[in-house]
Amino acid sequence: MTTVLYDDIFQLVREPIDPHSLIDHVRAPEDGAIVTFDGFVRNQSHNRPTLYLEYEAYESMALTKMRGIAAELHEKYRIHRVAIVHRLGRLEIGETSVFIAVSAPHRADAFGACRFAIDTLKRTVPIWKKEHFEDGAVWADGELPPAPVATPRAKPAS
Amino acid sequence: MAPVSQTVRVKVLFFGRLKDVVGQSEESLDLTEASTIEQLFALYSERIPQLAKYRSSVFASRNQEFAAWDAVLHPGDEVAFLPPVSGG
Repeated sequence: MTTVLYDDIFQLVREPIDPHSLIDHVRAPEDGAIVTFDGFVRNQSHNRPTLYLEYEAYESMALTKMRGIAAELHEKYRIHRVAIVHRLGRLEIGETSVFIAVSAPHRADAFGACRFAIDTLKRTVPIWKKEHFEDGAVWADGELPPAPVATPRAKPAS
Repeated sequence: MAPVSQTVRVKVLFFGRLKDVVGQSEESLDLTEASTIEQLFALYSERIPQLAKYRSSVFASRNQEFAAWDAVLHPGDEVAFLPPVSGG
């Protein structure tokens, strides 16, 4: 079996994310396009002013899932490198919580892959956000990952 | 002499609102018989009745992979109960 090694980045960080270093990492002479997604903390949630957010993760599984997303991107799209970084801990309004950069020879693959990456991350990577308001804090509603199928039963002997 | 009972030691993790409901984020547990993830959750629901209402929205993982509720646990497994994810 051949293992293809990509020079991708997956990180969970507690310090501010530096988008420029990630963009520089995915950028190479053979590429012609980089698409990035910058997700940052909004100042309100359902018209309630947000004070700040707190993110927590099941870190080992989250990194495995992020790695899986990148592997899927390389299968589905003609891309070069991927960087996916999510921040944990307390984040203030306007701070970046997730940053994704995808490089590719052509823009269509870069756009498609970046969109696929953030959509899949939001559905499948075990990270949770607690929203803090003036009058208390709540865990965000969140999304349900696709249901795993039940374990197949051994067929009874016929 | 009574036969030595087989125990299955698993590590159990709770995240997000489930961690708040259970009051702890992780625990090592000795199961006295082969159990499924469903039975493990039921065990916690007996101990913490308000946990039961989250069953329909909770996802389970075994060894860092999403798992079916009827998956049987083995010694050394790491099981996590995961509320709907809200990263990004």
